Amino acid sequence: MDFIVTFPALVAGRLVLALSPLTHYLRDDHLLSSPLTSYSRLQEGIYLFKHGIDPYSGSTFRHSPLLLSLFSTVIPLNEVTAAFLWTASDALAAWSLVRIWRARQNVSSSSRDSLIAGLYLLNPYTFLPSLGQSTSSFENALCLLSLMLACQKQASASLLALAFLIQLSLPSILLLLPLLLLLISEPTSHLASPFFFKTDIRRITPLAGQFAAYILLLSGAATLVCGNLNWVEKTWGASLTLPDLTPNPGLWWYFFTEMFDHFRPFFLIVFSVHLLIYVLPLCIKFQHDILYACYLLLGILSIFKAYPTLSDPGLFLSMLSLFPETFPYLHHPIVTALLHLHAALLLPLFHYLWLNQGTGNANFFYASTLVFGMANGAALLDSIWAGLRIAIGEVKEEHEVLQE
Amino acid sequence: MPPAILIKIRKYLRPDGDKNAIRIRRRRKLIGALWASLPSVIVVLLAVGYLWMLSIPFPALGQRTYIDENALQPGQVNTHWNWDDVHRADRYLEALEQLRDRNASSVEVADYLATEFRRAGLSADTQEYSFFTTNGSKTGVNAYATFSSPRASGTEAMVISASWLSRTGEGDGTLNLRGVSTVLSLAWFLRGYSLWAKDLIFVVSDGYLEGMQAWVTEYHGVSQPNLQAEPLRLSSGVIWTALNIDYPGHSFSHLGVFFEGLNGRLPNQDLINSFQRISLYTGGVPMLVYDHRDDVEILGLPSWTPESIRDNSELKEYARRAKNVVRHVAYQARGQASGVHGLLHQFRIDAITLFAVPATGPHGFHAIGRIVESTLRTMNNLLERLHASFFFFLLVGPTTFLKIGSFLPSAVLISVAMMFCGLQGWVKAGWVWMLDEAQATKDEKVHKRVGNGRWSRRQRPVLKAVMVMAATHGLGVVVFYLLTRSWYLHNSTVAPLLVSSLLAVLPLTSLLLLPKQPAQEAPLPVMLKSLNLCLTSTVISILSVLNFSLAAVIAFLTGVPLCYASSSARSELRIAKYMAYTTLAFGWVALQRYEVLKAVANWELLGVWFAPFMCIVYAPLVLQAALVCLLPSESA
Repeated sequence: MDFIVTFPALVAGRLVLALSPLTHYLRDDHLLSSPLTSYSRLQEGIYLFKHGIDPYSGSTFRHSPLLLSLFSTVIPLNEVTAAFLWTASDALAAWSLVRIWRARQNVSSSSRDSLIAGLYLLNPYTFLPSLGQSTSSFENALCLLSLMLACQKQASASLLALAFLIQLSLPSILLLLPLLLLLISEPTSHLASPFFFKTDIRRITPLAGQFAAYILLLSGAATLVCGNLNWVEKTWGASLTLPDLTPNPGLWWYFFTEMFDHFRPFFLIVFSVHLLIYVLPLCIKFQHDILYACYLLLGILSIFKAYPTLSDPGLFLSMLSLFPETFPYLHHPIVTALLHLHAALLLPLFHYLWLNQGTGNANFFYASTLVFGMANGAALLDSIWAGLRIAIGEVKEEHEVLQE
Repeated sequence: MPPAILIKIRKYLRPDGDKNAIRIRRRRKLIGALWASLPSVIVVLLAVGYLWMLSIPFPALGQRTYIDENALQPGQVNTHWNWDDVHRADRYLEALEQLRDRNASSVEVADYLATEFRRAGLSADTQEYSFFTTNGSKTGVNAYATFSSPRASGTEAMVISASWLSRTGEGDGTLNLRGVSTVLSLAWFLRGYSLWAKDLIFVVSDGYLEGMQAWVTEYHGVSQPNLQAEPLRLSSGVIWTALNIDYPGHSFSHLGVFFEGLNGRLPNQDLINSFQRISLYTGGVPMLVYDHRDDVEILGLPSWTPESIRDNSELKEYARRAKNVVRHVAYQARGQASGVHGLLHQFRIDAITLFAVPATGPHGFHAIGRIVESTLRTMNNLLERLHASFFFFLLVGPTTFLKIGSFLPSAVLISVAMMFCGLQGWVKAGWVWMLDEAQATKDEKVHKRVGNGRWSRRQRPVLKAVMVMAATHGLGVVVFYLLTRSWYLHNSTVAPLLVSSLLAVLPLTSLLLLPKQPAQEAPLPVMLKSLNLCLTSTVISILSVLNFSLAAVIAFLTGVPLCYASSSARSELRIAKYMAYTTLAFGWVALQRYEVLKAVANWELLGVWFAPFMCIVYAPLVLQAALVCLLPSESA
């Protein structure tokens, strides 16, 4: 099917859904929006801001000051504008995904374009949070936009998009190194023929400097908006110190509800630093195909970040469609799919048993988040395996590939 | 030098040679053994699952009930309900009988009740409501009264309720006059004590279930599109627990407890256990599960059976428990409330119905009043909601129950067997054993061992199978739409036949898919069966925590048929199999008209999702198995 026809059709369909009353039921769902991305909290913050109260003096509002200034000056936030805005953000994300695919294949259009856009726009993990108007949809769009611009070698724009993304969500800083490397290498698929990184690695220094300038600029703008530095602790600090233990599909919240207070700082450091250890190994192992390293890092973030929503794994799974060359080497796609099926049914069910029906307790929901973590882990590990295995190619009869 | 035996063991664990080669060899051996034993593993899992289900009422299983929440302290108080309260109840009964005899309208009855509540010194009010369903409308008037607790701020409340119609025959028109008189007399009596830490709410609901549905949804401010109800002018705190009194007969011998709520939700077991102890030790009335009297002949065996079987106490106990389990499953699987209490469960209220089993004696108002008083005192003791994981139980007798761990595995084992079967099908769909041409005529099994052949990959038609599955579920949606139309409800002969013949014929269109199948692809039925089994298994195992009875019934019905659905070479056999499976899937449309009407009414009135579930999930899953049987396995 023609991309020019299907893409607008898909977006129009999404817009109709976004304008339906469905959003009211999804808006405060714990799976779809975290305290850092919730629409209701955003509205609360804007209200306080407009009435001259510092929204960061309390503990409900944890969105970036940039969103605050955007919605209190340029775009008024109401039912209609929100529906358009969130649909537009998903459309931008899907379009970026298609552009990444084209850049990777080095073609100007292909027959898979519609499929890839559809896999993003119709992926329930991405479209439900978007219907629930969680700002994680913006994060996904910025992330894909930044990757797309990097694939097209538009360094400044890409780094600016990343800087915006980090304003919204601090953990995405993990993407900085692979993105810089992607800017000085090729986005085309080299998974089947690995090689050492060709370009001089020192070329990333000026780019890193540029990025630092953007970050400083945006942080300065944010400080100007608020008039003080409270926002740093309330927004970025939240993903490091986990002040709000509202349940979410991630692995942090339950662990820290159970913990004695005097262990808290130690485990907060462990959980945060643990995220950092993946960056270098993945960049080294996949130096021949940095885009794949970015993809894997997004998978790791979706499992282990502090306040994930369903759209984080959704982004990872939708990006899987960029790498069809790895599909024949996946070990256990059916197991991963079934785990996701189980998790996708168990998460809302156990959430309901615990908080609505009252026959279950927090352990039920925690168990379902573990299943979800396993499903995401299975997808991630299988992707790593397939990405490495493809380099060995077809083996002869009676030969086997073994991991030492 | 270590002893020789150690060296031997070490050699066995770490043989000489290339470490990786040994690993590969070991892994292949393991996978080979697993693959070879998979069919027998599936059979064993299925057998254990089915046997487990049958052994749930076994006397050796189950444990004695106990009180988990220490704060409850059941039966630790002196009761003050006395003969003058009984006398008042008798006077109310006379008045209510007069109202009944002159055929008073709902409004008159509710006005009388509200007036009496007010005379008792409570704030009281009435509430009119009307429901509009496809099957006509239902109207009525509720009466209710609140009593603010003298000891606390009124943030929590308890409900004492009685419906105008008794649950006898699921609301067949028997009036619950004595239950209503008890509530009225209790209102006078309970008001006189200052020890209540929770508000008391007295509700006399009109009709059987619909009155309470109107009252409880309005109380919680939930709107229901087909319900028009007056808003409640009196309000109180969060309702934690509720007792519903159902006393239809003249006297009673036992108090039966009914506890199943809408959509299979159960109340906390502590409530039932406390009530059992209070009823027995304070009131001197033995408790029954439902109205199953334990003194009646349970086995009903003909007289020629040997004495040793007829009088076997184990067997009798099994039959007694089985009767309770079957009744429980019948309520829970269909998502039906077994009484008015069940409607309260949807708002997280732990509620039970006390059913005074009609008998010629010996108990009456005196016993039931004391028991309710003492149970309310117990509920009054609660400092937090009944919360311990005491919601998953199977009450097999008044004092015996099964914990979740001893009944859940039965359904889950069957679901695991189905999952294994599905994964086996997935592997079979992706690989095919190609014989060497020279020996292609000989038996396949011999070759596997000799190795004169090889496994080769083939394409899996995943998308095609998923589309067929989606189409069957779409058909389910259409069926559900048809069943909820009024022409179907009013047309008792033609409509069911029309719908069921539509269901039999429409899936045949899938045969049109066949000619397009390329040679390098696995046959569609293999793929369809694999995905169908995986999906069914997921549905059963996830449903088992929400509504165990429904999951067990579905596992029982679909376990063997879906695992062993297969296509065959002869087309007559295929058609016969298809007809059998379609009957299993949609037979109830034609055969169980009464049940269909009841399920649809429950869906419209009370939001019981049993009807949509059967149409949109269960039937399509079995229909997919029917298609597996219908489609030819090898494309010519």
